[in-house]
Amino acid sequence: MEETISLKEIFAVLKKRLSLILLITLLATATSGIVSYFLLTPIYQTSTQILVNQKADTENGFDYNQVKTNVELINTYNVIIKSPTILDQVVEGLNLDMSTGDLNEKITVSNAQNSQVVSIEVKEPDPAQAVKIANTTAEVFEKEISNIMNVDNVSVLSEANFEGTPSPVNPKPVLNMAIALVVGLMVGVGLAFLLEYLDNTIKDENDIEKLLGLPVLGTIAVIEDKEVGSSKGKHAKKSVRGETVES
Amino acid sequence: MSRKNRKSIHVDKERSLLTHQNPKSPIAEQYRTIRTNIQFASVEEEIRTIMVTSSGPMEGKSTTIANLGVVMAQQGKSVLIVDADLRKPTVHYTFRTMNTRGITNVLTRQAELVDVTQETEVPNLNVLTSGPIPPNPSELLGSKGMDSLIEEALVHYDVVLFDCPPILAVADSQIVANKVQGTVLVVSSGTTDKEAAVKAKERLESVNSKLLGVVLNRKKMKDGSYYYYYAQK
Repeated sequence: MEETISLKEIFAVLKKRLSLILLITLLATATSGIVSYFLLTPIYQTSTQILVNQKADTENGFDYNQVKTNVELINTYNVIIKSPTILDQVVEGLNLDMSTGDLNEKITVSNAQNSQVVSIEVKEPDPAQAVKIANTTAEVFEKEISNIMNVDNVSVLSEANFEGTPSPVNPKPVLNMAIALVVGLMVGVGLAFLLEYLDNTIKDENDIEKLLGLPVLGTIAVIEDKEVGSSKGKHAKKSVRGETVES
Repeated sequence: MSRKNRKSIHVDKERSLLTHQNPKSPIAEQYRTIRTNIQFASVEEEIRTIMVTSSGPMEGKSTTIANLGVVMAQQGKSVLIVDADLRKPTVHYTFRTMNTRGITNVLTRQAELVDVTQETEVPNLNVLTSGPIPPNPSELLGSKGMDSLIEEALVHYDVVLFDCPPILAVADSQIVANKVQGTVLVVSSGTTDKEAAVKAKERLESVNSKLLGVVLNRKKMKDGSYYYYYAQK
């Protein structure tokens, strides 16, 4: 026998387990919110920008090839910034309580395509520390690059700093909660259908007729206490209405 | 477990005899519908001996049979409810009667039927409780004495109802089913397993009992249901 599920039945299942679905969704969202707000350490991000540009030594100002060379040099610089040569000095200079490797993980170096500007991003639980690391790294790099590459084409474009109250980049509570909401909703709906599928009990008259092929003599509703308790009221009513419903 | 159940039966006494306590309730109306349907279930002969069973325990057999008995008695018929559940009898709890003597005394020829049937607070409704619980219920119920008990009961009463144990648990119900004119299967909505219900039906058919139909118990009704249209509010 092929079972078909109509849209109506799907809605019936969802409606029946609505409280379960809502509970799971709410629980997931709340958990995610609590974890994001209270348990996870907020991470702050700051960045400093470095301009890589050779001082124009010709009178015609910018030389296209010069710019291009600089852009290509940036790839090399990116690696240099994250090399122990630079980072060791940063750790030493700031008396950081971490290894060069740890620091390496907190620093991201990137530049927009064909741009001479390199930005050094630092992610740190402590915003002030992040600013210090970013600035120190930029300074050390600026100083060191002339020794290493024997060029003097790096200047700090903008220093890292926080204005006002810093807001963490990670975790993002709202995003996390939104994800948890969707996931919770999906799990809830899935569970509702699973429970419905696993529930192998007889529910209504249709089940009996389909399954047993026997006539249904009658259906007794769930007997609630109010029906028993109100017997006196019923008798009073009886005298008013003065009629009985007999089958 | 049985102890706990018995306790809850005491508490639910009012609830179990709803048709008597509150004859105008919609649920009493539902029992009257069942009564009518049973009357129409057989055209050739009037069905006077009916047993009620279910696939498993706690599905509402005793409540159903008690209320069915009440609505039949309200119709003016003299009704006898026999507790044929000799393993976990409950009829005496439902009707608040003694259970010192009952069907087992009659079947073992220690007493006469007329002496051990007891009147209840419901007019026209008498009960025959289980009596002392015997070690061999199936044999007692299958004995010749059972046949003559039914015969004698039919002399005194218009309708005899048998409250039986769950059919999948023990053979007692099958034995009684073979001796009565009609069987009613109680199914509890949301509790009774589909497979169990099918198996119960097969067992009843295997002893050639006439299955009158199914009573769907404990169904959750919506407030706007038509059952509530007349009698309530």
